Amino acid sequence: MTDRYNTDELLAVLMSRHIDDFDTVACGAISMLPASAILLAEATHAPNIDVIIRGSDVYGVGMGRDMHFLAQRGKLDMFFLSGVQFDGEGNLNLHVIGDPDAPDRRFPGGYGSGLLAYTAKKLMLFRTEHSLRTFVPKVDFVSAALKTDPTITRMKQQIWLFTPKAILRWDDGLQRYVLLSYHRGTTPADVQAATGFELLIQPDVAETPEPTDEELRTLRTTVKKRMIETGTYAQWAENAFLPA
Amino acid sequence: MGVPYIPVRGLAGTDVFARRTDMMIVHNPFDPDEKTVVAMAINPDVAICHAIKADRWGNAILRRGGDELLISQASAKVIVTAEEIVDQVTEDDPDGLFISALNVTAVVHAPHGAHPAGVPGMYEMDRDHIKEYIAASRSDETFQAYLEKYVMGKTEAEYQALVTRPAVVAVDGV
Repeated sequence: MTDRYNTDELLAVLMSRHIDDFDTVACGAISMLPASAILLAEATHAPNIDVIIRGSDVYGVGMGRDMHFLAQRGKLDMFFLSGVQFDGEGNLNLHVIGDPDAPDRRFPGGYGSGLLAYTAKKLMLFRTEHSLRTFVPKVDFVSAALKTDPTITRMKQQIWLFTPKAILRWDDGLQRYVLLSYHRGTTPADVQAATGFELLIQPDVAETPEPTDEELRTLRTTVKKRMIETGTYAQWAENAFLPA
Repeated sequence: MGVPYIPVRGLAGTDVFARRTDMMIVHNPFDPDEKTVVAMAINPDVAICHAIKADRWGNAILRRGGDELLISQASAKVIVTAEEIVDQVTEDDPDGLFISALNVTAVVHAPHGAHPAGVPGMYEMDRDHIKEYIAASRSDETFQAYLEKYVMGKTEAEYQALVTRPAVVAVDGV
């Protein structure tokens, strides 16, 4: 990490680069980082994307049912998901920490995650903390799964996991996470040490290209303004980014 | 719909099935190679829905974008509470979603009856009250105190007198 950008800006920029023009791209109702990534992509390399942001006053209002049905028909190109815990089996936990019958902590849970995890064609997972408490050997509750039985119809998917330390890719053939790149200021060994399961790390794994001045400037000006004007997590957008 | 269950695409691979009996994974009867999640029908004994307006026969106008119509059609008895009772509600009313009296058992005149939620075009949700409710729900003791303060033994009029009347939305400021 540097002082050029904060963690939210880093993740927004890195996720935005994976958004392809002309795709139908959606995120949920409490999805500030995905919303900023989507609007950054729209403002830069992907002006023709169709956007559904459930927490916005403008993007995709009343489209909740449409979004789920699009996904069920295999027509939702991209969706964003986070969770409190991730494990090496490809599971996400949005429900509880501890014993599900007597949880230490209870979270909102999520029906949509368990659906979109295998129906969105490109799945963007993200977690703002990369540590041994968030990347665990086994999640306390499976709310969404990257592995499903072959008898269950599953979209052919591309899946990435974005963190403050690295970008991981879920390899469907190997059924495990591969280190795609590590961010400036960390090393593959650091990333592995902060991860509670074994990553596949190729010897030639590269450093993540840092956010450019242009990406950061667009995020802090155009995207921030757009989020405030469209009632898309306006209050969050006011404070999330460093001064332009 | 009156069907016993419905197939659902979603939730496979999760721990939901270990903890619930109303959802399971079964063979698709039309394709033996595929399995699918199915969810049991939920048929409430009584549904209570708040309407923008209703007539004395039970025709009513609900907010758009909600699930009240679906819930009403699944329930044995349906009570509609309404901001306003009018002479006649028609299907083409522009203010919201029409629900036919065929689905409705009883109508109750309940001005500000959505409180602490709001009614689109009429009044905003009472955010302070919702914050109070959330804070109270953190423990059984505080939640019991909330119920004693606002609910237990209180009439609707007493409840409305206890809470702040929500701000009225300007007619064209929905």
